[in-house]
Amino acid sequence: MSVSVVSVEKRFGDVVALAGVTLEAREGELLVVVGPSGCGKSTLLRCVAGLETVDAGTVRIRGRDVTGIRPAARNVSMVFQSYALFPHLTVGANVGFGLVVRETPKEEVRRRVAAAVELIGIGHLVDRRPYQLSGGERQRVALARALVREPDAYLLDEPLSNLDAGTRVEMRTELRRLHREVGATMIHVTHDQVEALTLADRVAVMHAGAVRQVGTPDEVYGRPADRTVAAFLGTPRMNFLTVGDARPFCAVPDGAEAGVRPEHVRLDGEVPARVDLVEVAGGDAYVHLSGGLVARVAADVRPVEGEDVGLGIRREDVHLFDLETGRRVEP
Amino acid sequence: MPRVRAGDRRFGGFRQPVAIAFGLLFLLPLWFLVAGSFREPGTVPPRTPELFPRPVSTESYGDAFALVDLGRYLLNSLAVAALTVPPAVLVASWAGFALLLLAGRARLVLLAVSFAALMIPVTALLVPRFTLYRWLGLTDTWVPLVAPALLGLSPFYVLLFYWSFRRLPPELFEAARLEDARPFVMWRRLAMPLVRPVTVAVALLAFIASWGNFLDPLVYLFDPDLYTLPLGLRSLAVLDRTNYPVLLAAAVAATAPVVLAFAVAQRFFLHEDRGAGWLGR
Repeated sequence: MSVSVVSVEKRFGDVVALAGVTLEAREGELLVVVGPSGCGKSTLLRCVAGLETVDAGTVRIRGRDVTGIRPAARNVSMVFQSYALFPHLTVGANVGFGLVVRETPKEEVRRRVAAAVELIGIGHLVDRRPYQLSGGERQRVALARALVREPDAYLLDEPLSNLDAGTRVEMRTELRRLHREVGATMIHVTHDQVEALTLADRVAVMHAGAVRQVGTPDEVYGRPADRTVAAFLGTPRMNFLTVGDARPFCAVPDGAEAGVRPEHVRLDGEVPARVDLVEVAGGDAYVHLSGGLVARVAADVRPVEGEDVGLGIRREDVHLFDLETGRRVEP
Repeated sequence: MPRVRAGDRRFGGFRQPVAIAFGLLFLLPLWFLVAGSFREPGTVPPRTPELFPRPVSTESYGDAFALVDLGRYLLNSLAVAALTVPPAVLVASWAGFALLLLAGRARLVLLAVSFAALMIPVTALLVPRFTLYRWLGLTDTWVPLVAPALLGLSPFYVLLFYWSFRRLPPELFEAARLEDARPFVMWRRLAMPLVRPVTVAVALLAFIASWGNFLDPLVYLFDPDLYTLPLGLRSLAVLDRTNYPVLLAAAVAATAPVVLAFAVAQRFFLHEDRGAGWLGR
């Protein structure tokens, strides 16, 4: 067990940010916490770091209860969304700041800073200041600063959200590589589901201050625990069908609704429908159909708007959710 | 290439002459001060303001330093300012940073107290302060002149620092807290280097306040050897009207250090544009 929170609650006035969250990032695991804005994921990370006090519950790092202790004594490193680089210091001084503050011998500071910047690939930037760097370079400096202390866990608060699309993809790969090399426990918070699914060993989906599901990317995407998780993950989002709407495709029990991923809606089936709108997104096309269904097909085989098609959905691709609770119903 | 804002382009042609006109308006009294100080002392004063004195004479400067011990007063004022400014800046910045670190309610209370203190006229405290210093046996020393610096000199300076620290992204301090930086380290290594223009401004304001302080030396100092420059200027004001160039010469000597201090400090206000991302945003 590396980092865990048990029944953690946090309120800001009348607003409940965390409603009894229990979650564990295992030793050496890259756990990605994903959820819409305002769901409490950053608050959770700040509670683990000690930057926020918890109203109830416990925070444990390597089995040690750290709930009441100051941030620095928790031995975690955090990468902030804004990078939080010290603007008046050089890259080298930024990376070595924590070591200098802890009065580490100068020679050791020099050695460890050199090792960290080399690992991240910013050795050539050590004498520059943050305002002279690009977004991606700043991100790397923030990572190097987190690495240099060799903490028990890394907490990454939306570290890629300020980057342009190209750099984000590049840094995602870089983060994955870094995690493999360092082998440390990392908790990464993001609102970007693609980032979560591509980066994580396990994903925790949060909504309204609660963890709705924890599992591997395949599990949370392929077997969502409830309607909220199912709707949040996937682009375009999952189609939801009432008992009546689903009848041509499969039988849905009373009190439940069916969910079908757009990529599982086939256009070579029997059920007639008309194409309302086609959106092309690179290699994929999102086909909006009469009746409200959306299908995702390869862009080179997409139908044209106004065309009549036949829909098909395989029974094994249908997810069932309880209408009242939203929980998954096993067929 | 320097960036040009839309507003600059639109008012570019209009702004400059207006700025120059205002500049001249403020320079004019200074010009009359300097020009008047070069007038020959003992002659009949002119009926209208005189742009260029005829004949030009530096005699007033000699007279000013001969009539009163201006050199000593100048040094005394410098000494008092040197004892006042550093602790004023130090304490005001500490207090401002402490306000930043305080939790919500305590901070609000102290901000309210600071604002209230700002409203109290200095003269209202004159009698209790004098009584206190006399009781402590500190009158006729520089202590009453310097002691307010130990409270940051003015709540305004404390608030100025607090507002400047508040403009810095809180994540910087959170990152430092995670690195085990205690408040003093955060103040010294992060906060102060990032508000350097404000520090210079507060130092300058404290210097001007100390340099031009007339009331406190008048009330607390009795020994002429301890007098500061404003008291020396005051003693020249009793001279005959024909000798006003002597008073102006002394005034020039008194104003010059302030102008010099501002000239040195202004490069800190007009610091380089570091562009977007200077504060990591």
